[in-house]
Amino acid sequence: MAEQTAGLTSLVNLIERIADNKYVLGDRLVEVGISGPNLEATLSAIAMAQGELGHARLLYNWSFDLKGLKGKKPEIASQSGKAFPQVVAIRNWIELIAALYTVNVALELVLKALLEANHADVVHRIHKLLKEQKEHIIYSRGWAQQLLADGGTIPARFNESLDKVLPQAEAWLQSVEDSADLISSGYLPSGTNLVASFQKQIAELRSARTAVNAG
Amino acid sequence: MNNRVSRNEYDVFTRIKRGDNLVHIGTVEAETDDLAKVYATYIYDEEDWVEMCVVRRDHIGWVRHPEGLFKKEEAGA
Repeated sequence: MAEQTAGLTSLVNLIERIADNKYVLGDRLVEVGISGPNLEATLSAIAMAQGELGHARLLYNWSFDLKGLKGKKPEIASQSGKAFPQVVAIRNWIELIAALYTVNVALELVLKALLEANHADVVHRIHKLLKEQKEHIIYSRGWAQQLLADGGTIPARFNESLDKVLPQAEAWLQSVEDSADLISSGYLPSGTNLVASFQKQIAELRSARTAVNAG
Repeated sequence: MNNRVSRNEYDVFTRIKRGDNLVHIGTVEAETDDLAKVYATYIYDEEDWVEMCVVRRDHIGWVRHPEGLFKKEEAGA
């Protein structure tokens, strides 16, 4: 029983971490995304913000259910303090794209691992979320590739932003990967290589010849 | 920004329900085919489309084009 409680606590923490990052990203997508480089990117950023905030709400409600809260769900006025500091610190388009890509790739890896564990309480909650997450990754990767292929100081500034958020995401992935509570409770399969998969995807982004239409 | 990247125009086609006509609903400009799909998804989200596709404008094989409405246009064509 104690083991189950520890597992549940770890799962609630995990869900809140994802929800907090999505909550803050949704806010930043509106705040910074409104002044995106072109009309399509801006409109998509605003629409994506609604998606991120919707995911955050679903995840917060799920965490309330797991904590045994009955009746009307509390109003969410701010994140619970688990969002990555660099996500909170987003102030411009370059930082937004670096964080959006990094965080979404990390979240996708964790959500896929949860799905792989096939825990009955988890699967139906994250299936749709994972599908919608895919578009956020395509969008942010498309923009990350453009910024890396751009001129002047932009590629260097993008890499700098990426380097700020990467350690925070990696540290979190490592803690999830090493969580004995999540594994023993059946929420996460053993032997997941979250950090290695994450580093591989980031390395591919940095080394890939840009797929954008060279002018 | 974007001094190495060009944007292409994509036409967006959708079908509301199975059996409906595929209708041209607008355009997006995008840097890659993948971004064009994402832009179309987010910008034209007023319906729960059963089908949506984007076609790069310069990949359309034109069989017939309208002629210019004014003599000047035809002469300059």
